[in-house]
Amino acid sequence: MTRRIRQFAAVAVIAGAVVVVQAAPALASETIGSCAFEKLTEAGHEFGSVDALIEVLEQEDHHEELVKFEDDLESCIEAPSPIIPEVNEIIWGGSAFLVLLFFMVTKGFPAVRGAMDERADKIRDDLDAADQAKSEAVQIKSDHAAELAGAKAEGAALIDEARSQADRLKADLSTRAESDIAEMRERAAADIEAGRVQALADLRAEVSQIAVGAAERVVRANLDAEAQRSLVDAYIDEVASTNG
Amino acid sequence: MNVLALDFPPVSHLFQWPAIWFEGTPYAVNKTALIYLGATIVTMLIFALAGRKHETLVPAGVQHVAESGIQFIEESVVMQTIGSEGKKYVPFLTTMFFFILFSNITEVIPFLQFPANSRMAMPITLALLVWVIYNVLGVKAQGLGGYLKNSLFPPGVPKALYLIVTPIELVSTFVVRPFSLAIRLWANMVAGHLLLVTFAILSATMFEAGGLGWVGAIGLSWPMLILMTGFEILVSFLQAFIFTILTAVYIGGSIHPEH
Repeated sequence: MTRRIRQFAAVAVIAGAVVVVQAAPALASETIGSCAFEKLTEAGHEFGSVDALIEVLEQEDHHEELVKFEDDLESCIEAPSPIIPEVNEIIWGGSAFLVLLFFMVTKGFPAVRGAMDERADKIRDDLDAADQAKSEAVQIKSDHAAELAGAKAEGAALIDEARSQADRLKADLSTRAESDIAEMRERAAADIEAGRVQALADLRAEVSQIAVGAAERVVRANLDAEAQRSLVDAYIDEVASTNG
Repeated sequence: MNVLALDFPPVSHLFQWPAIWFEGTPYAVNKTALIYLGATIVTMLIFALAGRKHETLVPAGVQHVAESGIQFIEESVVMQTIGSEGKKYVPFLTTMFFFILFSNITEVIPFLQFPANSRMAMPITLALLVWVIYNVLGVKAQGLGGYLKNSLFPPGVPKALYLIVTPIELVSTFVVRPFSLAIRLWANMVAGHLLLVTFAILSATMFEAGGLGWVGAIGLSWPMLILMTGFEILVSFLQAFIFTILTAVYIGGSIHPEH
């Protein structure tokens, strides 16, 4: 609490206390009876005692005092019209209002209004920032979703590519294996055939040699060498055709 | 004054307060004057405290009172009667509202128990101030001729009716308004104070009488006193509001003749 506010509070407390304390005398004179008693007591003090007062007032040459005392007593039931404003109350009330108006226009109102506007601005800024953050978050989320979808699509494409490559590879390998097998089979068949032909030629030559040797021994000199070979070859061909 | 065995004080004694200081001078200070000073100090305190820097986002205490008051005057009084261009009158109207309210509410504050506006001084002073303000603003906004023309010859009224309307408007706008404004506030506070005093005296007398008096006091007069105290709190707010909104209506009418 600032010093100025403490001063205001102190003045308010003092003013309140004065009003409360000073209410007592006013309350004390609230009835006509108490007012009349007060007037009588005042007049009694003036003349020494109430008896002395009555004695004086009863004398004819004190008519003026009597009228004044009667007026005093009547003032207890006659009060100023309540609708006529009192000058002192206008002065104090009017000046209090003007002081308050000056304070409110120069300090009080602008300070409170400023605080209200400042808070309203802060709330507006915070709401704008929250909106901004929210839209950014939504943007980031949609970006992430798009990236995720792209990554998924890319992954799927890679998998498809790999799968088709594997299929192609498999088909190539299969084809190559088949052709290799066929080639190997052909080569084997050729080798076998060559072997067979060679073996047959070797066999023929051997058999021919053996037969010639044998026949030569049998029919030595009956036949010349050429005629013997032709005879044996013909024999072998015959044998081969029957076995072949 | 003895009424039906009740020792009722004369009405003037309920409103006429003796001087405390400077007796017999034009600046004599009495209870009414102190209440006006108190209303000023309380309003200043509320706005001084409310205007300090506050860290919290949600207003509380006096800050809430001051801000609610301003918002209420702006939205429920000015915007409804003058419009957005009337916002410059919000400080004046807020001051008037709080000053009248705190001068009224002392009616139900223990030990004070007197509405300062049950004295004619400030109601008539404020009403005359309002009268000056709305007439000056009217002349400023429309020019003297335009203001008088629009006030005395309201647009849209058949010309034949001006014979009746113009004298009525003349008396109403330039003569009766300040007095009706002042008397409405003053009479309401006088009546409220009389009601509270009546039920307070009745309760006190019945309690003092004992026996059946106790029954009557507890069953009737005392509950009525409590009820009327609550009612007078409402009246204090209501009269402050009515005085303020009528001021705004008069200002709005003088700067916007079409309304």
